[in-house]
Amino acid sequence: MAEYWIGDSEGRVLGPVSLDVVQDLVNTGRLTQITRASRDGQSWGPPNLYPEVMTLLLNAPAPEALLQSERQEAARVREQLRAMQGRPPHEIFRLERNASVDAYRNAFFKLVKRFYPDRVRAQAHADLRKAYADAFQFLSRLMVHIERELDAGGPIRPLPTIRAVPPPPPLDEDEPLTPTALTPLMKTRPMVVVPRSATPPSRPVPGGPSHQGRYSYQPHEFVGFERRDDRVEVTVRVTARNSGMFTEHPLANLKQGGVFLACGKSLPLGTLVDVVFRFDNERREVRSRGRVIVENSGGDPSKPHGFGVRFITLVEQDRSFMQQFVERAAAQS
Amino acid sequence: MPEGSILIVDDDAFVRTLLRDMLSPRGYALAEAENGRAALALAGPPPNLVLLDLLMPQMSGMEALGQIRDRWPSARVLVITSMDSERLLEEAMEAGAAGYITKPFHPMEIASAVEKALAA
Repeated sequence: MAEYWIGDSEGRVLGPVSLDVVQDLVNTGRLTQITRASRDGQSWGPPNLYPEVMTLLLNAPAPEALLQSERQEAARVREQLRAMQGRPPHEIFRLERNASVDAYRNAFFKLVKRFYPDRVRAQAHADLRKAYADAFQFLSRLMVHIERELDAGGPIRPLPTIRAVPPPPPLDEDEPLTPTALTPLMKTRPMVVVPRSATPPSRPVPGGPSHQGRYSYQPHEFVGFERRDDRVEVTVRVTARNSGMFTEHPLANLKQGGVFLACGKSLPLGTLVDVVFRFDNERREVRSRGRVIVENSGGDPSKPHGFGVRFITLVEQDRSFMQQFVERAAAQS
Repeated sequence: MPEGSILIVDDDAFVRTLLRDMLSPRGYALAEAENGRAALALAGPPPNLVLLDLLMPQMSGMEALGQIRDRWPSARVLVITSMDSERLLEEAMEAGAAGYITKPFHPMEIASAVEKALAA
């Protein structure tokens, strides 16, 4: 079988793989930035030196065709969701009626990732975004329900009626995404956020105390997804009152080299973000590039809405300034 | 490396940190590498398990997979990838992977997959 190596704009390499794999990845939008190719992994050239690879790239679905196919996919997902809602849990996960919780979890992970919200490209049809979000939420709640029922000794009773969760708002209401054009790599879209405190409102943990500290299977608990087709610029005004953005989130905080922007908007995991911090009182501006590592667009009401960024570029002088700012803010309060 | 040793190979430092945070409390001995070449350059006894990304700079996961299987025949390899193409995963299994986990992954899923792979 013919073997190919392909490289992307970030210097990463995939191969050896068959042309079928390349075709699959191109057609599903998982591989959009092929900058070089090779037949032996040693000598590389631009994709146009490999007519078979170029043919795949040129035949990749057009934006209009993608939108059409996404609308059809959304209808299929909604149909699947309706079918799942009417079936007992063990049938949804294709398990025996008396399957263990581990068997349910394994089956759940396999199934739910098909509907992971960030699998939908940034410019995807809104119907598809909603269909994915609804299916993901349904399965997540069902899994929590199954764990509770099995904890209580089973059997698993039907899941109470679930209210569909609305999809997250668009990234920037002032600049809606253009549905007919793909965003070029590294396109920057401005976004201004005024972070609130990252401390989540205190409310009872669903399921009562026995479920404290458990996973809830919300989208933000799934990690490691990569999206590299988007970049967003975020401008943040920093004051002593909202300096908790650097300290309050357990994963995205200054000590870990990050920040959590608790705001009404969220960004998909992996999004490249250029953050501009404006310390107005200090007359200082700090710029850093980072990647979204956690997000909550409302799926988990016990945690703050917003997104956490891990810095990729942050000079030590700026980091030190921000650390001192945080300490001064803490002393003032 | 002692029994239960795991080598994490991923070019994304965040993913490596995340996997380390998930797995180190479970008592595994962990090592990290940022690509296939760096993984194969590691000295010392073979790991029991390799968690291997497929798309990486310098040496891809597929290339590394073949060489890892040659160099450390006893090591099991779990592929971790965000490119969940069935064809790609089939080819990874044909190349010697013991299994795969697609990104995004859940901490509980990683723990379970690692436990199973080490027990096999």
